[in-house]
Amino acid sequence: MFTFVRGIRILSTLGLAALITLGVAHAQGKEPIKIGWLSSLTGPLSSAAIAENKGVEFAVDEINKRGGILGRPVELLTRDTAGEPTKAVNFANQLIHSDKVHIIMGPVNSGESLATVGVIAKAGVPNLILGALEALTDPVKYPRAFRMIVTNGQWIKAANNYAIDVLKKQKIAIVGDTSGYGTASAKQATEMLDKRGIKPVISLIIDANKADLTDEFTKMKAAGTDVIMPWSAATSLLARMFNTRGEMQWDVPIVGHPALMALPVKPLLNKPEYWSNAFGAGYLTTTYDEQGKLPQRTTELMEKLRPALGGTIDFTFWWVQVGYDSVKVIEHAITKAGSTDPAAIEKAMSESNGLVGSYTTYSWGPTKRDAFPDAEVVMNVAGSFKEGSFRLATGSK
Amino acid sequence: MLTVIVYGLAIGAIYAATALVYNVMYSTSKVLSVTTGHIPMLGGVFGAYFIAGLGLPILVGLAGAIAVGVLFNLLTEIVAVRRVLARSDEHLWLLSTLAVATMISQVMALWWGTEPKPFPRLIPQEFAQGIGDQKYWLPVLAAAVCAGSLELFYRRTMYGKLFIATSEDAFAARARGINTDRVRALSYMLSGALGGLAGFAAGQLTFAFFALGFALTLNGFIAIAVGGLGSNLGAVIGGLALGMMSSFATYLFGGEYQQTVAIGILILVLVIKPEGLFGSKQVRPV
Repeated sequence: MFTFVRGIRILSTLGLAALITLGVAHAQGKEPIKIGWLSSLTGPLSSAAIAENKGVEFAVDEINKRGGILGRPVELLTRDTAGEPTKAVNFANQLIHSDKVHIIMGPVNSGESLATVGVIAKAGVPNLILGALEALTDPVKYPRAFRMIVTNGQWIKAANNYAIDVLKKQKIAIVGDTSGYGTASAKQATEMLDKRGIKPVISLIIDANKADLTDEFTKMKAAGTDVIMPWSAATSLLARMFNTRGEMQWDVPIVGHPALMALPVKPLLNKPEYWSNAFGAGYLTTTYDEQGKLPQRTTELMEKLRPALGGTIDFTFWWVQVGYDSVKVIEHAITKAGSTDPAAIEKAMSESNGLVGSYTTYSWGPTKRDAFPDAEVVMNVAGSFKEGSFRLATGSK
Repeated sequence: MLTVIVYGLAIGAIYAATALVYNVMYSTSKVLSVTTGHIPMLGGVFGAYFIAGLGLPILVGLAGAIAVGVLFNLLTEIVAVRRVLARSDEHLWLLSTLAVATMISQVMALWWGTEPKPFPRLIPQEFAQGIGDQKYWLPVLAAAVCAGSLELFYRRTMYGKLFIATSEDAFAARARGINTDRVRALSYMLSGALGGLAGFAAGQLTFAFFALGFALTLNGFIAIAVGGLGSNLGAVIGGLALGMMSSFATYLFGGEYQQTVAIGILILVLVIKPEGLFGSKQVRPV
């Protein structure tokens, strides 16, 4: 009798445990996949983030309409960092420790990302990097940080190659602004030129808000400059460079940072023709070919997103593409990993080679954390903006 | 080298005008408002909005920019200064004016946008004028108008004398029946007008850009600290000197030293002559 009762008790306990385990497993199966999105939607660096956000939200909706990832819905937790590294770190900690996200995208800007990459890496959370500074990825220090966009060095390399090999210029003036990005990029550009055996004739660091550049241009002209290479994202500085060049009637080419093609430069120009003879680093997927056509993967996404974008695309489209691709890469990684386990995601990402996205074809590796191929960086003509894309510069691949 | 001097004078004139705005507010309230640099910023942004955005005539745009400066500064006085001064002698106005400055900066970023926008040409003139371009001499003219009109105001008008009386001894002024609260509010409105005018005149040089506020607050403060708090002549000299030295430092050493020079000047003056070049030493009875 005693043994029978004891047996019933053991069986009941086991049955209850089995029911609980099944219940937990069932609940986890429906537990949403949480993606943390650190995005500077307001503040001084918001243009790219707002456009990227459109791509991100569209991709999340698309995935959820198809049933989610591994049958689990995707939950997007967006945090507006306002372009401030302090806020970015605080939100990263919140996403990791309070919200318990499975993966974090961003921040969008290198300055903020420099502050968060270590924090996120320490927590072991996978992180998609959307900044261009080289220091943001390191397979040893940040094994779960995978870059989605070009590196700063790829921009500089493309611009250097175009100035030297296509335009046949040797007397280069490097211009950076006084921000951390500007000074670091000017230094990096000088080092990369040095590897090609070229020393800049002059190197200038200019405050992004300096209202007059006549003296700087006079110095560059006096130094015999035959090409100016600016490494600054400050549209006001770039516009003043075009204006000063135009007012001096000095037809020296300006080749460099993608921002020199940015739409906010246009209204700051004193004359539209001041924008000529200028070339910025761009991407194959947002470049019109000789027939005036864009790659199919770009037009496909453009047409899908056009209603959500309000019909007209009056901003740089690759921002939208990288936002969309970021979520699709997460879908791919989790599907390949079979779970949201961070180590499994890291392994899946490290084994992802030749992954075709809208923005580019992504390839990572066991020790490779930068996905963008050199072959897809091209030079575009400034002032040729149309529907989010640009014309290919003559002679650029 | 001539462009270095002309540019230094132009940018120095903006700093001088900002320093004058500081002075007018300080004279009646003993408050160094963090919102000071945001007044010219608003003048530039709203000037561009009224003329280029809404297509209004230039003089209407100017009047609008000045009106915005007046309203903003009056609001600052009501919200961030008056109540704080009524409750405490401590420097809590620093926090309250910082809060207002931060808020207006964020509001402008959201409404106007975070990229600089063009400021329209005010006088028909070809662009390639070199040092004769209006973007250099309009700020200088505005600073001269601000300084000249302040002098006339203080010397020749009753309200000017009320301002002086309040700044010299607020308690005595109240005892003589002067409504010091109203005088303070009027001084904030006057300084708002000056700041709006200065920002409008400088718009072609600075572009219409929301982020100018804090930079002008800092540089205007350096100008007034160098020139001497309470001295309008000091504000003008301090501003012009700061502009010229920054311009020369950039030309000779590079843009990365511009802020270093500005802060260096401030520290040097504070060490050698803490009351500023034209300020008077504070005498405290013991």
